[in-house]
Amino acid sequence: MKKTVLLSILAAAIPFIVGGCASAHYVETGGSESVVTVGQINIQDYIQAANAATSDLLASGALDKVATPPAVLAISRIVNNTGQQIDTDLLTKKIRVALLNSGKAQTTTTMGLGGTAEDPMAKGLQQENEFMNDQKTTRKPDFTLSGKIIQTIARAGSTRQATYSFQLSLTDAKTGLAVWEGEKEITKQGARPAVGF
Amino acid sequence: MKTRIILSLAGMVLLAVTGCTSVNTIENAQKEGQRQMVSDQRVITDTSLARKVSFVGVNQAMTPGGLLKVQIELLNLKRSLQRFSYQFQWFDASGMQINNVASPTIPDQIEGGESKFISGVAPTPACKDFRVKFIEN
Repeated sequence: MKKTVLLSILAAAIPFIVGGCASAHYVETGGSESVVTVGQINIQDYIQAANAATSDLLASGALDKVATPPAVLAISRIVNNTGQQIDTDLLTKKIRVALLNSGKAQTTTTMGLGGTAEDPMAKGLQQENEFMNDQKTTRKPDFTLSGKIIQTIARAGSTRQATYSFQLSLTDAKTGLAVWEGEKEITKQGARPAVGF
Repeated sequence: MKTRIILSLAGMVLLAVTGCTSVNTIENAQKEGQRQMVSDQRVITDTSLARKVSFVGVNQAMTPGGLLKVQIELLNLKRSLQRFSYQFQWFDASGMQINNVASPTIPDQIEGGESKFISGVAPTPACKDFRVKFIEN
């Protein structure tokens, strides 16, 4: 009897032991299982900031005030004022995709900072097309999107805190005035280990 | 022995003081704005969370650009801070979920006894319905 019970317990425990040995598994990007670190901007922070900016921008109705919708957007400089090396496309691309899907705005890929096109081939074809037809077909951007990412660190005892501010401005290309501005702050707190680095 | 009892009691009082903070509020009694409340359908699988944070109501409005905006009022039934995450899902007129590249699981917290609003804006004008998922952290 005892043997049977022992064997049953062992048999039931095997899947847990085997499962526990698995070294990697998939998690939902930005989901509640994502790794959270205080000293870095995590993927869920970019998703959260992009979502907040997009929702706020769409709700403001600023993009609806163009003569011929959808509005055309050019991406300007996103300044990285954090101590990390980050790719700001992690923020801007999500905003661009969301705005395009909303039907409210389209982003130009043939115009960029310092005359550098994001898509040089598209720019070449566009210029060729204009030359062949002898007329300007390029639609100038209605708005530019610029911003800054700032990191603020605070420490008290073994508690570490980092605040990441995602600041964005939508500027009317004709007037040069910011018609929408948004800021999303994400604060993370954690304890520094007593031993180690 | 007496000292031990006193120290234990002091520790419990300290815990009670630091662990429980609730919120007092004041607002205008004569409201100018009228909330357009919508009837809601709830599925509770986490009774532990439901006992702590309850849904007071849902109201909606349209943005100037024709997007659905939803606001949910939550109430912390406990005297201590509660942490949770939520995520908005949006559906079109055919009931199909609309994929949104920036649809995060948003971590949030609510103070003891606090009434809090969370809101979401539909990603496209095609969104007609919504669902919000809540998970206790």
